[in-house]
Amino acid sequence: MLKHSDRGSSTVESTFAIVFLLLLVLGTIEVAFALYARNVVMASAHEGARAALELGTDRQTAAAVARRTVIRSAGGLVRDLDVKVRSNEVGRLRSVRVAVTGRLAPFGPVPIPIPLSASADAVQQVPRG
Amino acid sequence: MNQRGQALTETILLGLVLLVPLIWTLGVLADIHRTALAVTSAAHDASVAAAAASDPIAARSAIDDAVERALDSHRLDPRVARVSSDIDPRLRRGSALAIEVRVPVTVLQAPLIGRVSGPSIWVEARRVVRVPLYGSRG
Repeated sequence: MLKHSDRGSSTVESTFAIVFLLLLVLGTIEVAFALYARNVVMASAHEGARAALELGTDRQTAAAVARRTVIRSAGGLVRDLDVKVRSNEVGRLRSVRVAVTGRLAPFGPVPIPIPLSASADAVQQVPRG
Repeated sequence: MNQRGQALTETILLGLVLLVPLIWTLGVLADIHRTALAVTSAAHDASVAAAAASDPIAARSAIDDAVERALDSHRLDPRVARVSSDIDPRLRRGSALAIEVRVPVTVLQAPLIGRVSGPSIWVEARRVVRVPLYGSRG
């Protein structure tokens, strides 16, 4: 039997425990989203570089492909998205470098806008004739 | 005996015990996802590069370059990748060309240290293309 002075203490403890567990769960979800967004940003940089070479398109199109890949795969998870494309042609080698930067949308118990960045290169040999 | 605060302490300890494996599992799953994206890109890029090469030797070199570049873009070590290819000895037009890229994902990793030991999960991608019938090569 509970003593008079212990009245309500289990309720208070349960409340603290639930809040603590809730923070843990939300924090874990935030970590999962951050890892997923990082993977999407890396893959979209590569996708943009590949599109630029395979489709033989200009830099604006490569940037648009990378941007579209991030938006379609990660939705509103990545904010302040910026895509930079640099192309170069030396002799018969054509190369494209796509750099994607952004920030993880702040949410959860630690709403820090984690920076995300990735860059990818694609090289193609220009056929003769 | 005073039991004040015991439930809270137990919950916090249990929460931490549950949280550590959960975060670790998340890390491994994220690594598998990243590796799956990387090997798919690597196999795709390698097949395109090999199909455009002028001869089998140039094709093998192009495959190695493409795989290295794709894995590097995904921040993976290209040295751990196993690449196998099935190329026509004369790389004839219209012949099939198969590329397989496999990369291990280490299950036991420690922060700042990296791989500890133990089993790896192999993530692989395979792509088959035909050498184009028309168009200049190499």
